[in-house]
Amino acid sequence: MEIAYFLGCIMNNRYPGIEKATRILFDKLDIELKDMEGASCCPAPGVFGSFDQTTWATIAARNIAIGEDMGADCIMTECNGCFGSLRECDHLLKENPAKKDEINAILAETTDKQFKGETKVRHFAEILYNDVGLDKLSEMFTKDLGINVAVHYGCHFLKPTAEVGIEESAENPTILDELVEITGAKSVPYKNKMMCCGAGGGLRARDIDVTLSYTKEKLDAMAEAGVDAIVEVCPFCHLQFDVGQTEVNAKYGTDFAFPVMHLAQLYGLAMGLSADELTFDAQLIDAAPVLEKLA
Amino acid sequence: MSVLDTLKSLIGGAKKDIDKNLTKEAESIEEAADSIQTSSEEEIETKSDSETISEEETLKEAIENDEDAIVPIHAEADEEEVEEVPEEEVSLDNKEESIDDKLSEDEESSEEVEEPVEVEVEEADEEDASEENEESDNMTLLKENDIYSMDDIDKEFTQKFIDAGIETVDHCFQCGTCGGGCPSGRRTPYRVRQIVRKCLLGLREEVVSDPALWMCTTCYTCQERCPRSVKIVDIIKMARNEAAKAGYMADAHKATGSYVIKFGHGVPINDKTKELRKAIGLDELPPTVHAFPEALEEVQKICAACEFDKLIGYNMETGELE
Repeated sequence: MEIAYFLGCIMNNRYPGIEKATRILFDKLDIELKDMEGASCCPAPGVFGSFDQTTWATIAARNIAIGEDMGADCIMTECNGCFGSLRECDHLLKENPAKKDEINAILAETTDKQFKGETKVRHFAEILYNDVGLDKLSEMFTKDLGINVAVHYGCHFLKPTAEVGIEESAENPTILDELVEITGAKSVPYKNKMMCCGAGGGLRARDIDVTLSYTKEKLDAMAEAGVDAIVEVCPFCHLQFDVGQTEVNAKYGTDFAFPVMHLAQLYGLAMGLSADELTFDAQLIDAAPVLEKLA
Repeated sequence: MSVLDTLKSLIGGAKKDIDKNLTKEAESIEEAADSIQTSSEEEIETKSDSETISEEETLKEAIENDEDAIVPIHAEADEEEVEEVPEEEVSLDNKEESIDDKLSEDEESSEEVEEPVEVEVEEADEEDASEENEESDNMTLLKENDIYSMDDIDKEFTQKFIDAGIETVDHCFQCGTCGGGCPSGRRTPYRVRQIVRKCLLGLREEVVSDPALWMCTTCYTCQERCPRSVKIVDIIKMARNEAAKAGYMADAHKATGSYVIKFGHGVPINDKTKELRKAIGLDELPPTVHAFPEALEEVQKICAACEFDKLIGYNMETGELE
């Protein structure tokens, strides 16, 4: 399987440990990740898509076209936002020939690329679950992670289910919990598990107080459940739980201290990578106490 | 939480410890407060004393917390009322009135509700309140004694949704499942069901000028649960596109847009991350537009061709927002 690896913005430009762990994991799995040279921001579905659909779709279609021109079987992203944006654009242009023509006309005028509709947009976690499989993944791990974690799915990984097409329940999915638990970490149930982190749709930029009230509600529930860390599959949720957690503490006078781990980082720990390699040291919430638990 | 659950807790829960509900079930309390604003005085009287008192307390609180709460009623009010009728346990004669009768009482009932509100909020002069509502970042959806005329209706606005492939806007039967599960609805004045309705009616100006339109995180909970498969999030995004065109775009959002034009990334790299990437053996610059200037030019050309720079007021020459 040939995978065009779409980086996006936040992972590679803020939390490179996620990218590092992913590259090492796929190397071990003997699956080649091909770089999408010159790819840009997806651009963000909720925020950019809210401004001007045509600009949003054209930039997204350009990104998809880069993957198509590489002859890749699929474009893989490990960000729910990028997944949401590229998948939605792919769906829109495949379903709506008039829109496809309109976007391709702009692409012809501005680039040497065309959207052809020849590839698929897929999420990292779904590829691992369906194509690699839990058994094969387990073989990559050398360390048993005996911690309790709050699994956060985020919004654009599975939803809207009618369009995304991952065979999972939007209300009670297990795919991510299963992917987490093969590391030995325990996925602890908590209230409002499927609720949004609060950052999406342009809310974090525009109305931070509303965003933080979402995040606090999630953190309260996680505290009640007694978890050691948060695991997600979206660098934007990652940023919201990391940076946003400090903002919640400042605003509400709380003292939440849940380290935040992207699934790739959790797998990195299970593969025996160091905290530095996974850039945990660059995150605002100190992961050291939890990592000591693992040692 | 489903609408049915909300209604059940509204009816049954009001007799229990309201304070407990306030903290534990913020959502149902908000709905309760909402319904008090929207209930007619007549209806309040039909309820048991304790219920009336506790609900009035809730109302007081709602008013103290948010002056907007003073602005009452209308289309929404009566819709909610109608929905409640079959569920109400306190069944009196007036409950048997036909829905049409209730709807025709629109104006009357709005005045009735206004009165107790004024009594309870001593300083909330009606004029002040409405003045403030117009000036402040008002999230309230309907203004006092609003009456829609054909002048308010822009059929082209509705057509935009249909043309964009969101013909499901016309499938909505206003059940309220969307709002019942909406996490923004329980902490902001965002009322997704009303927005969908207004989009269908063509109430363009009201939709695009409402700051609450921007309170959706696009979490898709509403769309997943919609029994009519209405593409609600697509509707919200399309409405926002129209709002942006009409000049209702926040500066923070213009800034996000400007980063994409300027750097090709909504979140561009910084020196700290460059160091970090180098330290763990990754290329200092990721193989994105950051490493390929000609690719960035393509993104900029796309933005110019779509006039996105003009939309957000970005000066391509200076690289700054105007």
